[in-house]
Amino acid sequence: MSTSASTPETAAPRDEEGAGAPVHGAPPWLGRVKWLVLAGIVVLALAWPYLVSSFYVGMGTQALFYGLFALSINLLAGYGGMVTLGQAGLLGTAGYALAILTTSAGLPLGPAMVAALGVCAVVSAFFGLLAVRARGTYFVMITLAEGMIIWGIAVRWQSLTGGDNGITSVPRPAFALEYWQYYYFVLAVVAVCTLLIGLLVRSPFGLTLRGIREAEDRLPSLGYNVGLHKLVAFTVSGVFAGVAGLLLAMYNNFFGPSQVFFLASAEGLLMSILGGVGTMTGAFVGASVVVYVKQFVSSYVDRWMTLLGVVFVLVVVLAPDGLVGAWIRVVWSRVVRRVTGSGRASAPAVRNEGGKEAT
Amino acid sequence: VSLHEFGLQLLNGVTFGAVLFIVSSGFTLIFGLMRIVNLAQGALYLIGGYIGLSVIRATGSFVLGVIVGATAIAAIGFVIERGLLRLVRGKPMSEILLTVGLSFIAADLALAQWGGDPVTVPAPEAISGSTSVFGITYPVFRLVVLGLAVVLAALLWWLQERTRVGAIVRAGVDDREMVAALGINVKAVFTLVFTVGALLAGLAGVVGGAFLSLYPGADSEILTYSLVVVVIGGLGSLQGAIVGSLLVGLIYDFGQSLVPSLAYFVLFAPMALILIFRPRGLFGREAA
Repeated sequence: MSTSASTPETAAPRDEEGAGAPVHGAPPWLGRVKWLVLAGIVVLALAWPYLVSSFYVGMGTQALFYGLFALSINLLAGYGGMVTLGQAGLLGTAGYALAILTTSAGLPLGPAMVAALGVCAVVSAFFGLLAVRARGTYFVMITLAEGMIIWGIAVRWQSLTGGDNGITSVPRPAFALEYWQYYYFVLAVVAVCTLLIGLLVRSPFGLTLRGIREAEDRLPSLGYNVGLHKLVAFTVSGVFAGVAGLLLAMYNNFFGPSQVFFLASAEGLLMSILGGVGTMTGAFVGASVVVYVKQFVSSYVDRWMTLLGVVFVLVVVLAPDGLVGAWIRVVWSRVVRRVTGSGRASAPAVRNEGGKEAT
Repeated sequence: VSLHEFGLQLLNGVTFGAVLFIVSSGFTLIFGLMRIVNLAQGALYLIGGYIGLSVIRATGSFVLGVIVGATAIAAIGFVIERGLLRLVRGKPMSEILLTVGLSFIAADLALAQWGGDPVTVPAPEAISGSTSVFGITYPVFRLVVLGLAVVLAALLWWLQERTRVGAIVRAGVDDREMVAALGINVKAVFTLVFTVGALLAGLAGVVGGAFLSLYPGADSEILTYSLVVVVIGGLGSLQGAIVGSLLVGLIYDFGQSLVPSLAYFVLFAPMALILIFRPRGLFGREAA
């Protein structure tokens, strides 16, 4: 662990985009490396279906929409300090709404998607209204209960949701029926959403959110309406989770209760902290790892859930700043130090996510 | 709804509440002192139930099943506290996430060991019959569980309010640093409290498994109920756990019989109301 942990000024770089954490004293060309890496990722994402088999394209598709899901959790947990364990409930609200509207209600896909996101926004706002009054551990518990309510409805209200059997034959857009077409569709949607979230966290709104994470009690005296900011963040994050839910429902042509279960929320949170809470790229790194474990490792080992649990525990204990965070802390700062030849490059902090709202 | 049915639902709700109390008293005990939201409490409940079931199947003794189930979970709790939670002490989110990771592992291993089909712990022969309560025929076993919960509530109250350990725990809830400064080994008290909390989860698993069946997912369900209990009652409060358990048990059972498809949703309403008017819960104290 870094010894320079937890000073306020070193906490900030973690909020920046993955590799590009501005380290003081770095030469200007080093900042460009970040853009090179990003460009590489974009090229790789675009070329993916031409490089690998359909199995891996499917995995890539999942990593993308689960990455968006993790990013929506990240928006709340990483930037707003609100760790949620009910996000799968919101993903599921949109997914179920889409499934119901396109099958039993017989709506065309386009309007159904808009309506489903509308339903998701309303539910998110309502859940947010209850949850944002609480903080820290209380917030976690309330969101967990909220998520499980959705699960309860999914399982019990059989006439609406199909109970344990879920809802089948959810359509895909006519232009994205093939697996690779659907991959590009998901890539486009996720890219736009990621861009929007990126703009949001860099906006004054995003700065205020981070202010809330760092010192919730002080912001009201600066004239900020903390409750409103948290509610908006909760709702926006819920809608992005909802977008991931739509993509998930169309990917599987199916929606069922296991996708809104507590473990699904926990998995999303795992993706988010595995990659690194408070980094944008972390969500996708985390989602890729989890999807890989689920899809690939599960074909060799039965106990992949145990493996995920062990990963969860290890990350929490050993690398609370996640893979991307650990990378910045250990590798990147060393590179910068080597390049600049000075000891000024401070290792970004190992900051326990949400640790501030202790007791 | 006839008076008879009403009485039956009432008893069902109260006895369900009794099981909820046993789980959530452990939950609230752990939180009260350690400020740890133990999201593995549901998993401990489920594993405790399964272990008890295996012992009962092997030996035929229900009492032995309860003792072994509860003790095994206490031992697991001890190991979790000593081996893992210590590593992240003082970081509430890491503590929560750690227990979430553990619940992944527990759920999966339980599935591997005991399979996916719902199973019910056989109630002991001696009290497997029915009796008449105010003219309602009712299983004796469930009444015994209710009695057990009442005894436990009294015991916990006595421990907390009338013993030295209880005084230390109460003092620890208010000011951990000060208690440590007085030369009391807070770490040891933490381990003790976490172990007892786990023991209660295991105990609840065995007795609860005898009338609510055990299956994959029961862990998260019971966890959700306990969360609603402590959100309503207030985290860390014994009275809160009692009142919350009764309320949740009753609301759930009446909801189940009146609007089965929305039984979960009905639970949500009182929680929402409490959160709006008393964000800390009925008996909750300052910030969590």
